[in-house]
Amino acid sequence: MDDPKTSAKRSRRTISPIGGLLAPSCIAVDAHAGSVADAVRLVGTMLVAADAVDSSYVQAMLEREESISTFVGEGIAFPHATSAAQGSVHRDAIALARFPAGVDWNGQTVHVAIGIAAIGRGHIGILSQLASALLVPHAAARLRSATTPEEVLELLRSTA
Amino acid sequence: MPERTVTIASAIGLHARPASLFCQAAARTGVPVILTAPSGASVNAASILGVLSLGLDHGETVTLQADGEGAEGALASLVRLLETDLDQQ
Repeated sequence: MDDPKTSAKRSRRTISPIGGLLAPSCIAVDAHAGSVADAVRLVGTMLVAADAVDSSYVQAMLEREESISTFVGEGIAFPHATSAAQGSVHRDAIALARFPAGVDWNGQTVHVAIGIAAIGRGHIGILSQLASALLVPHAAARLRSATTPEEVLELLRSTA
Repeated sequence: MPERTVTIASAIGLHARPASLFCQAAARTGVPVILTAPSGASVNAASILGVLSLGLDHGETVTLQADGEGAEGALASLVRLLETDLDQQ
């Protein structure tokens, strides 16, 4: 039904399928974080390790999170920085951490945090694809209970 | 069904802070509101995932629809929000 790649996107550059933006090294299926900041640092650090962003991007993600929560419902949050941090992004990438015990995200419980780095206005397309994938019935629940990186990748590939 | 069209004013598009503020406001109206993108895709305006899935950028024109008691007022308040650059507040 809802095709995310219709007229709204026509003027934008082609965006890689979401699965391709998520390196296996950027997936942590059994993570633990004692706070929102810990969780954001965890996914941010994976983006740094993958050489997708400079380390300063992590601080920008934390500032964004303090300004307004990136919780999107379904036990999922999409931490990312503001456009002010553009200079510290090397390439489009995402990093995913699953928190089996959950993280108290300002009163909501988050089981999956997906950190996003994007060049230019690429974040709009990435957020759109991720959100579309997670709106597929049961996709968010399957992601919350995925126990291997392969499962995570398969899920995002098959639904995005 | 009452409907309004409005152009997204937020410079960064409708995600992050603007999307959060918009969805919270939509939920607070207590009226089910449908947001439709230029592509024709429609979502519940109070769903952040739904709104994000539309991938709306600055300058795109969307349609808001609501029905029932309070629909006109709900639409007017949400139109005012979308006409504002919500990332600059």
